[in-house]
Parts: sequence; structure tokens; C-alpha cells
Amino acid sequence: MIDNIDSHLAAAVSLPVTITFAGILVAMILTLTLEEKIHAKKSVIVGFFAVLCLGLASFFHLVPLGDIILPNGHNIKMPAYIPGVDWEVIAIILGSSIFIDVISKSGLFAWIAIKLTKMSKGDPHKLLWYYGFMTVFFSAVLNNVTAMIIVGSLTVVSLDKLKLRQLLLGFLIVEGLLTNVGGLLTLISSVPNIIVGNAASISFTQFFISASPYVLVTSCVTIFMGAKIFKVKGFASVEEKEEANLLVSSFDENDSVESKLFFKFSIFILGAFIVTIALTSILPVVKDLGIGFVAMSFAVIALLRYKSEVDQFYKAIDWDLISFFVALFVVINVMEHALVLDLIGQVIAMIIGESASVLGTAALLVSAAVFSSVTDNIPLAAMLAKILSSMNIASESSLWWSVIFGANLGGNLTPIGSASTLVAVTIMHKHKLPISFAGFVKHAAPFAAVQIILAALYVVVFL
Amino acid sequence: MSNIDQFESIFKASIKEKFVYDSPEFKNILIVTDLSKDEVDSFSSKIQNFLNFLDADAKNVNYKIITDGMFGSTEELLKIVSENNPDLICSYRNLHSQAWKFPHSLGEYLDVLLQKSCAPVLLVPHPKAGYAYEHAFDSMDNVMAITDHLSKDHRLVNCAAKFTKNDGTLHLAHIEDQVYFDRIIDAISKIPDIETDQAENLIKQKLLSDASDYISSCEKVLLEQGNVSVCSIVKFGHHLRHYRDQIEKEKINLLVLNTKDNDQMAMHGLAYPLAIELRQISLLML
Repeated sequence: MIDNIDSHLAAAVSLPVTITFAGILVAMILTLTLEEKIHAKKSVIVGFFAVLCLGLASFFHLVPLGDIILPNGHNIKMPAYIPGVDWEVIAIILGSSIFIDVISKSGLFAWIAIKLTKMSKGDPHKLLWYYGFMTVFFSAVLNNVTAMIIVGSLTVVSLDKLKLRQLLLGFLIVEGLLTNVGGLLTLISSVPNIIVGNAASISFTQFFISASPYVLVTSCVTIFMGAKIFKVKGFASVEEKEEANLLVSSFDENDSVESKLFFKFSIFILGAFIVTIALTSILPVVKDLGIGFVAMSFAVIALLRYKSEVDQFYKAIDWDLISFFVALFVVINVMEHALVLDLIGQVIAMIIGESASVLGTAALLVSAAVFSSVTDNIPLAAMLAKILSSMNIASESSLWWSVIFGANLGGNLTPIGSASTLVAVTIMHKHKLPISFAGFVKHAAPFAAVQIILAALYVVVFL
Repeated sequence: MSNIDQFESIFKASIKEKFVYDSPEFKNILIVTDLSKDEVDSFSSKIQNFLNFLDADAKNVNYKIITDGMFGSTEELLKIVSENNPDLICSYRNLHSQAWKFPHSLGEYLDVLLQKSCAPVLLVPHPKAGYAYEHAFDSMDNVMAITDHLSKDHRLVNCAAKFTKNDGTLHLAHIEDQVYFDRIIDAISKIPDIETDQAENLIKQKLLSDASDYISSCEKVLLEQGNVSVCSIVKFGHHLRHYRDQIEKEKINLLVLNTKDNDQMAMHGLAYPLAIELRQISLLML
């Protein structure tokens, strides 16, 4: 819809300029890797590089500057960095996080979590399976971090209540790893899904149908391995079973439900949200406005419940994440104009090989997983999505899925690979279960290896 | 709601401690006295009459009387108690002493016995003192269990329920110390990061709701088990003043309280001052 006038197109880019910008990109990724060490938030790191990139891009005349002319001839005064931002992605993240935050206030997620705890009757083996699938479900519906916070917090409280503190480490590791598996279930379950799915024009339903068999099988395998490795067994004696049942029966799932009416409304509106998002691509009117519009609309409807105190939800928005995205899109936009993405695209083309061979598809998945294990998977997904788009890869190609699976599952290799595994480690430290970087990798590597191998096979054979 | 602590708080708050009914048996009762021989029978009868509700068939309860000449030191008394392994010990304050005239101590025998013995001790008003309330030895129509942390204290409630006669009222009291609470809020009021009014209301509400929830659970279970009705007293106030007023107002026959403290060798912080001052009725000290 928006065209730039030819006179404002960027100048030809020399190789030294491209290499300079590639160096800046590498520096940004390395700095993001050291985020915890240098005590700086993502948004500040990427914001700094966005300012640097824009300044240099302007100096080298790389980005188109000046008015933007619409097809009807109207001029729009817009800063050069605004069109570079994928506002659909920002709208999805902003809308769904506000919506889910309001729904959380109804006590719905705590209610589900406690209900499942009681259904397990305190049996540790059942509890691991229930919590495992709850993690997957919450990661699919909420964001991975919130899912880990809810399930991890409940795990701490319930294992304390059951006097099974020795199992806490195993439970938290399994749950942390499952957040990234659950994050593969739907188009809106994780940010890489939103970015890549959007770029490849994969619909919500298509995404769910393609990813759900893998998520189901891998979740079962992960929980099974977790029970074996961390020796999570059921109670043997009737006395133990009765005592555990008595202990978990003291949980009251209704305690966190402040209003039954709002609780019921939350179930209804959450269902409506999922159905509407699933049908966005075919619903008249809505299909033109996109998933971002749906997410923002539902956020506004949910906020009506707290119309006089909405500021508490605005305060709770992860502004670091939103600002990070905006800055990241700006950086990637500059990198595109500086032909850095073309350069990386050539490397990826080498990895993929001629006409996207089976080996190439698997290699792309494994490479994406390895990269996202040491750095943020969001810039990786955004960059790869842009590169695959520029390579005119068809939306039904399995290469898109390689990026999606690799970017999500790579987070399971290290504690810094994803925000949700970092939350799991934070909970461990909070409860005096010190685990080093190497210690986490040692525990998580067998799970991550199995998950990535299964993903590679699944993508190559079925997608 | 986006951080770990918030959700941990939600889940911790959802745990509602449920009362577990487990009625204790009091079959072997040891009466310890320093009275002269001609006074012992009368005192013993009074005690047996007071406790006749413990078993519908009073013949099943076995009373043993330890008199003046049978112990001359704390060690000897502890040895007798250990040998007899009683379910309940009945005595009064300041054995082998005239200090019962002054409301300042329980006496060396009771001080040690209360901490060393596993069996509950029923402390009746001193037989020679005239300060007992008229209702002190009436049938157990009104029994009050007190604590500064009622939740999960199943033994306290079970013992108190056992001593409450059928159709009687069990008063379960949880008084939060207003003075201590005010000090905490005063400290909070000097911390800019915490909103004082909100903190005061939320903490107050939570402190009282845990006890109220537990009492509701006790009421439900005890109604299923018998005819004891439960009266809930959950509020902020001054412990001693409040309990004294309540005893007079409700004509409480027996006060049940904990004396053991896991953190120290001495008697539980709240129990000692109460036991010293509340001399007019019987106290069941666990």
C-alpha cells in the first residue's frame, strides 16, 4: 500500500559498507548474549544499535528518506524508521498480553492449576504428567514466561505442601523445557511463531494442525524422560496416598476467584478469542484487519471490566519487550538496505542447498536451534523470516517450519536460550536450588537433543 | 499479575488448612497435690466430679493420687509422672509453697513439669485460695481454646473439644496483638515503596482470614462429630485483657492453651503471663 518515490530509493551499497553493518549486527547479537552479565535490558541494547544503525544509514544514504506517497497521490510525512516496524506483530503482542493479563485477574488460570493438583491426589508421578501438560497448554494460550511463572510457582507451593521438595529441581527443568514445546502449538504461542508465521502467511488453523502432532508426541516423550531421569515415582503404600490426598485437598481452587460472574465471562471470552483468532483468515471484515486487530479488540473488551483502573494493566505491559521489538525491526530494516541480509541469505542458501534438500531443511533447523540457544530467538526469527521472504520461499515450504521449530527448541539447550527457561532457573535460585550454566546444560541437553531430532524428522517427513 | 512472587502468593493463599478430628483419650489421670491427708479426699472428689464427663462410664477412667509425702523434689515428681505415664495430670500452682497467694509464678514444680511432661496438665484454682470464680468448677458448658496462631493446631482444638460437654460451646479464640501490629505498620509507613493504607488493610485481612477459615473448618467437622457448637473469636486486641473479659462475660469454665515452644526451653511466650494472671478458672495446658 505504501510506495516510496524513486528519487528517495537508497543508493547502491558497497561491500565495505555491508561488512561494516554486518559487524554491527554481530556486535548487537553478542551484546544481547551478554544481557545478564552487563545488566542491561534488551530494549536499551537494541535501541542503542538502532540509533547507531539509523545514523550510519543516513550518513551512507542507505534508507529512503522523505515523504511517503500513497497510491492515491497523497503525501505522508513519516520518519524513515516507522515503515520498517512490523506493527501487526506489535499489535498482536500488545493486545494479547493485555487481554491475558486481564483474564488472569479472574483467577481462571490459578483455578485450572489448583484443580489439576487436586485431581492428581498428590501423587508425584501423576503430578508431573498433569503439570507437564498444563505447562504445554498454558504456553500455547499465554506467553511462555507467564506459563512458567504460573506452573513453576504452583510446583513450589504444592511440592512444599506434599513435603517432596527433593523433586523440585526435576519438575522445574521438565516444565521449563516444555514451555518451549508448548510454544510451538499455535501461531500466537510464541513470538518467533508470530513473526515467521506472519512472514510466511501461515494461518492460525494451518499452524495448529501442522504443529500439534509434534507437540503432543514430544510432550509425552519429555515427561516420560523426566520421570525416569529425575526418579519421579508414584506412592507405593495406601497410607502415603491417603496422606498426600489429604494434603492437596486443603487447596481451595475458588480462593483466587473474586467474582464468579467475571470468572464465567473470562472462560467465554477466552474461548471466543481463540475461535476468532483461528478464523481470522476467513471471517469477513476481520480478515482484512488481521490478528493484531483481533488481539487489540479483545484487550479493549476485557479492559471494560476494569474500566476505571486500567492503568494497572498498562503498567504491567512488558515495555522492555515492546521497545525491543520496535528497535529490532528498525535494525533489521537497516540491515536489509545495507544488504547484510542478502549476505546472510547466501550463507543460508549454502546450508539449505539446491532446491531445499532434506538435509538442508534439517541443517537449517539445527543451525537455528544452535543459534537461538546462545542468543535471543526473536532477532534470529525476524532475520531468518526476512531472508526467506526475500528468497521468495513458498509459504508451504518446510524451511519456514525449520526456522519455527529451531528458534523455539534451541531455547532448551541453555538457561539463557529462552526467557522461560531463565524464569525456571530464577525460581530454582529463589528456592535455594543453585544450578550453574553447565549444570543446566547437563540436565537439559538429553531432552533438547531428543526434541530437536524429533523436530528435524517431523519437519522433513511430514511438513 | 506477572511475577513469580504474585503467583506463589495466590497459591499459598489458596491452601485452607482443614481441621483433622482426632479425639484424645483420657483414661489414666494423675492427681498431684501437696494437701494434707484429710484434705486430699475432698480435693480428689472435686476433681473427679469436675471431670466426670470425660467418659460416659466414669469407672473406665483410672485416677491415681500423688500426695504430699510421695515427692519432695522436682526430680521425684518427674520420675513418678514418667512411671505412671498418665494421659492427664491434674494439679494446681505453687506446690509445696505459699506463693500461690501472689499472682507472680506457677512454682518450680509446675514450671518444669509443664515443659517436661508430654501429658497435658489441668491446672485448677488453688484449693486454699478463695479467688476461683463461681462457675470455675461447673460442668464444661463453655470451654475456650486460645492461641496466637490457631491454623493447623489440631491437637489444641481436639483437646478443647474433648473437654466441652455435649450441647456446650467451644470458643475458639485467635487474638492478634494490636500493639505489635501497630509497630509493624509504623515501620511500613516509613518505607516509601509500600503503600501504608493498602498494606495495613491487606495484612490485617490476611491475618484474620486464615484463623477464621480454620475455625469454620473446625465448626463443620465438630458438628458432624457431636453436639458441640463453635463460637469464633478472631480479632485484633490486647491478649490478656481480652481473654479476661471473655472469661467473665461468657462464664468460661476452662481455658485451653499451648505451653510448649519449639524455639525455646521456656514456656510459650503467650502462655506464661496468661497462666500467671488467669487464676480464677481451670487451665488445660498442653
